Amino acid sequence: MLKKIIHILFLPCSEATLLMEKRNANSISPKDDWKLSMHLKICKWCRAYKEKLEILDDILKRKLSREEKVEINDSEIQSFKDKMVKNLDI
Amino acid sequence: MTKNETLKSWIEQYSESLLKRAVYVLSDRIEAEDIVQEVFIAAFSSYDSFEGKSKPLTWLNTILNNKVADFYRKKYKSEPEIRLDHFFDETGSWKNNDVLNDWDASNKESELLDNDDFNKTLEDCLEDLPSRWKIPMKMYYLQEKKAPEVSQELNISTTNLWKILQRSRMQLRECLDFNWFAKS
Repeated sequence: MLKKIIHILFLPCSEATLLMEKRNANSISPKDDWKLSMHLKICKWCRAYKEKLEILDDILKRKLSREEKVEINDSEIQSFKDKMVKNLDI
Repeated sequence: MTKNETLKSWIEQYSESLLKRAVYVLSDRIEAEDIVQEVFIAAFSSYDSFEGKSKPLTWLNTILNNKVADFYRKKYKSEPEIRLDHFFDETGSWKNNDVLNDWDASNKESELLDNDDFNKTLEDCLEDLPSRWKIPMKMYYLQEKKAPEVSQELNISTTNLWKILQRSRMQLRECLDFNWFAKS
């Protein structure tokens, strides 16, 4: 119960998770960083979420820099190239 | 090489890469083809400003980013409204305990991505995000997490970009938890 009151007065989880995004991007102010650290000390839900955020961040970094994984076959690429040359009239 | 020859060689060399990136960001093949055509048209008309300081593909990717941003700005004119009531109660506390579920830490992230089934699940979860959130999130990661640039390009406030990332990630967390980690 006390924890719940501290959460609400100090920093609700809905805001703590937003601050995690800022911290993750190195865009958090020192004051918010401190508030978030305090929150994480007392909140096991947000600690659990933070772990998952870090896993997701790592997965997304790898995944989204692999856009070449999109599948388009060679003949489609070729017909696109032909279309470009024709449409641009070059 | 003349301007026409150079452009032809760019179309030959870079169409595939540009198209894949565009399909990836927009999740729409037709839109992607249109936008890459716009990229080549823009490259053709501003060819003189390309001074060869960067690689052609880098320059073309920059144009592509701008075109995606134009597309996004035209499609979504107002600032987004992002609600978190699916996850938090009125006091801002977590509604469900499933956030506490254990994600097997022995599954290294790099290995997860080598798993085709996991990739499929992740892609499905990503595609479930509304494109209004998905495009900023993809741009954010493609541009190495430079939030001020991305929010400026897409004409959304930085605060809203943080909220979009927060909301998208919460949904992804839930989707992967349900469809992957809880099952395996």
